[in-house]
Amino acid sequence: MTAFFQSLGMNYEWAWFIATVCGILLIALPLMLAVAMIIYVDRKVWAAINLRRGPNVVGPLGLLQSFADGLKVFLQETIIPSAANKGIFILAPIVTFTVALGAWAVIPFDAGVVLADINVGLLYILAISSLSVYGVVMAGWASNSKYPFFSAMRASAQMISYEVSIGFILVCVVLYAGSFNLTEIVMSQKGHGLGIVNGYVFNILLFPMWVMFFISSLAETQRVPFDLTEAESELVAGYQTEYSSMSFALFWLGEYANILLMCSLNTILFFGGWLPPIDWAPLYYVPGIIWFLLKTFFFFFMFSWVMATVPRYRYDQLMRLGWKIFLPISLLFVVLISGWLMFTRYA
Amino acid sequence: MTDFSQSLALIAAEELLTVVGLVLLLCAAWMGDKASRMISIVAVAALVACAFIAAPALCGGLMGPERVAFMGQYTADAFAAFAKLLIYASGIASLIVAPRFFGQVGAMRAEYPILILFAVLGMNMMVSATDFLTLYIGLELNSLAAYVLASFLRNDERSAEAGLKYFVLGALASGIILFGMSLTYGFTGSTNFTAVALAMDGTLATGALFGLIFVLAGLAFKISAVPFHMWTPDVYEGAPTPVTTFFATAPKVAALALTMRVALGAFGTQVDAWQQIVIFVSLASIVVGALGAIGQSNIKRLLAYSSINNVGFLLIGLAAATQEGASAMLVYLAIYVAMSVAGFVVVLMLRDAEGRPVEVIADMAGLSRTRPALAWALAAVMFSLAGIPPLFGFWGKFVVFQAAVNADLIALAAIGIAASVIGAFYYLKVVKIVFFDEPANVVAESGESGVDALAHKVMLLIACLFISPLGYLLTPWLGELADKAAAALYFVG
Amino acid sequence: MIHIIAFYLFAVLLIASAVLVIMSRNPVHSVLWLILAFFNAAGLMVLVGAEFIAMLLVIVYVGAVAVLFLFVVMMLDIDFAELRAGFVKNFPLGILLAVVLLAELVLGFGAYRAGTLKLGEADGTAATIAGRSNIESIGALLYGEYLFLFEAAGLVLLVAMIGAIVLTHRERTDTRGQNVSKQNKRRAEDATVNVKPEVGKGVTL
Repeated sequence: MTAFFQSLGMNYEWAWFIATVCGILLIALPLMLAVAMIIYVDRKVWAAINLRRGPNVVGPLGLLQSFADGLKVFLQETIIPSAANKGIFILAPIVTFTVALGAWAVIPFDAGVVLADINVGLLYILAISSLSVYGVVMAGWASNSKYPFFSAMRASAQMISYEVSIGFILVCVVLYAGSFNLTEIVMSQKGHGLGIVNGYVFNILLFPMWVMFFISSLAETQRVPFDLTEAESELVAGYQTEYSSMSFALFWLGEYANILLMCSLNTILFFGGWLPPIDWAPLYYVPGIIWFLLKTFFFFFMFSWVMATVPRYRYDQLMRLGWKIFLPISLLFVVLISGWLMFTRYA
Repeated sequence: MTDFSQSLALIAAEELLTVVGLVLLLCAAWMGDKASRMISIVAVAALVACAFIAAPALCGGLMGPERVAFMGQYTADAFAAFAKLLIYASGIASLIVAPRFFGQVGAMRAEYPILILFAVLGMNMMVSATDFLTLYIGLELNSLAAYVLASFLRNDERSAEAGLKYFVLGALASGIILFGMSLTYGFTGSTNFTAVALAMDGTLATGALFGLIFVLAGLAFKISAVPFHMWTPDVYEGAPTPVTTFFATAPKVAALALTMRVALGAFGTQVDAWQQIVIFVSLASIVVGALGAIGQSNIKRLLAYSSINNVGFLLIGLAAATQEGASAMLVYLAIYVAMSVAGFVVVLMLRDAEGRPVEVIADMAGLSRTRPALAWALAAVMFSLAGIPPLFGFWGKFVVFQAAVNADLIALAAIGIAASVIGAFYYLKVVKIVFFDEPANVVAESGESGVDALAHKVMLLIACLFISPLGYLLTPWLGELADKAAAALYFVG
Repeated sequence: MIHIIAFYLFAVLLIASAVLVIMSRNPVHSVLWLILAFFNAAGLMVLVGAEFIAMLLVIVYVGAVAVLFLFVVMMLDIDFAELRAGFVKNFPLGILLAVVLLAELVLGFGAYRAGTLKLGEADGTAATIAGRSNIESIGALLYGEYLFLFEAAGLVLLVAMIGAIVLTHRERTDTRGQNVSKQNKRRAEDATVNVKPEVGKGVTL
């Protein structure tokens, strides 16, 4: 894109600047639209599994429900509790939202369709996703109220616990791919399974890693069954309790943008990203971005499915799963996979 | 890919300690504290095996490039082997005396031998370090294990206090060393001792001088030399006695060997820059150690001051900055380890009727009438620490002073000898209380029986025989080994 | 141009947030400023081409260390009046330290300007290997030349972990934990009995 703006007569730096801004807008705006729609999908799937109808009033089939909700919160008054720590209270949802968008910079939607093709892409994602806890912690502390505070405590402990095993799972993928660059990780999955199927998930050593990654991504995004931070039966609405109107909406948007990010990471790391599922020439005529979106939305469907069917974990069970089960198993697989690769690839 | 097979063969002892430590850690996690005796036995066996690995290097007087591993980061020469043998001996001693002491308060835990093993591993790295990075990592590995060991009796307030004090001040010292190391690295462009020595040859840059001073100051903390000695009495008193036994011996040996390696190796081309400092530190340690001990009522504190005092005498050998001085220091270190082990084993054997440890000196009054053997052992230790001639402790002081005189440091030697007279006062005071005061009848009349008590007695017997006049039979042999080790330290290849 | 703007942006923010770490009265604010400082430091590292270190800084310091730090600070009950009382008492000492540090800086800088301080010359041994990303270069060093020290550093961390557990872990006997494998092993027939009680006789369990 930079080359295009340069052909319009700009010097390199301006062209780069404008191209980057355009790239950000091209990612962020459709993402916001997608978030609005998947909130609707989420509610519909949930309702269908519960044998309900879900949103069906606003617009055809209720399609405009999310926009109506958005308009509603936009018109509401932003209430800041008098005992709250004002600056941080306002900053918290902004942090959550910004961080949720920031990670998308390195996600490749198709071959070469990526805002920043950096060689530490995966580490960047890990770094940014580790920042997302700050929104919750800041909100919880600044609200100066006990339920949000409990929620913040839980959130920070939960995020740290699951980031550890996610880190090891990512190491397994990186060992196979030989790169931290997400585009290279996708390309290395081409014909990975017996030369026919694309995707690391068809590897017997990586399949358990994907299962753990999927569950960890539920925990990392604080989705059911790991939504301890906003467990309504104990903590009212967790860290969001004191929030209203747009500040509340920003949390909501950030949360769903994070969920989509985790879905796309499942796609990129284990299901071959924009590659078609089978390494067969005719399938490559379908644009890569279609495959990417199909896979991502499939994972979102799985997230909704889990939400509608699985009861919430207790906090000690959550910690046990993270530290006593995922951590040892993922460590074991790092050893197994690096041993196997030493034996086969680097012998 | 670099070929590491030779390097890996040279660090066999470290590998053994690591593997045994990790396996024992798993045993501890699965079997719990019930397995602590088994784990202790295996740990002792591992240390003995390591001693067999180190011994040939010392007896053969090995040195030179074929003993250097990992591109100059590590050296397994005769000097390292000498220090390692002393460290293993102290490690074994503190493992053997632990079960009875901790068993008394029901606090023997499986992690104790494991922490000792890792501390020994860290000290192995320290004495073999020929690179500032190895030095620092070894030092930290040893120190972290030591902080935990100091507060091992976690329900005991004094033990917790000792651990915390040791940790805070130790972290400060590590920071000072790191600061000095980074200055040295910045001004010489290398962390390798040989390269640093080469780069420092000639006029010394001010920055490098600062680096040198900071590194030596940090190391002075680790060997508890004055003016960085403040932590020693509190930590020695508060830490559980087996741990104090360990602190007084192994880390001292390791840190002193490390100081020798740094001062004579890395900074060996700038002797003038640090000689004055070492002379000051050694005299200050002798005087403060002697004067500080006089007012003490707790035997562990007294032994702490005695160790400060002894470090002062040891540093006289370093101040000489000759191969003879280094050899003398090693001889002194060997004798010092034996004296300290004997002293602390006596303290461990002093128990009242209910089995509680007796640490107050006044409670030992008249010990000669109730427990004559123990009293004589204590007297031997005290006379030896004071350096009174028939006992072996005298020989250590003698070789160190001889080295100082040969290096034209006659004034230093004279002051040192004069100061050791002050030191003799409090040692003799303890002997007087034990032999001539009215019995306080606090210490239980008879010792316990059983394997642990027997082990204490055997260790005490061996250590006492070593420091008794019979020790002089060993002088040619000990001197020869120390000479070989010092030659390895001075080897320029 | 953008490079320079980015550099000054990160540098100014870094210094400003570092100053605010010590200036802000609320410790939680201090930690948050500290996080911003870390983040900007990472930005500076990206600018000099050390992207791996930058990411590690964010992941380790911002993502884990600072979270725990914030966790602790948020739960502390700090008495600000008491803190300020200590401030007055320790003020002379603080000034003394500041003067010493300032003198050191002036001396060091003066000596450097006068040419009496000579820094070691860069000989290029620490440069990244040509044609490799800096992850690969760091990996080659850590698992090559510094293998021994790298593994030993791992042991240092292990000992720290053993220490933390030895000193703080207590076996609780007054709580009833969940034994998951026992629960999973339990079957309906172990837990229930089918009885047909006769009328008026009752059931003995």
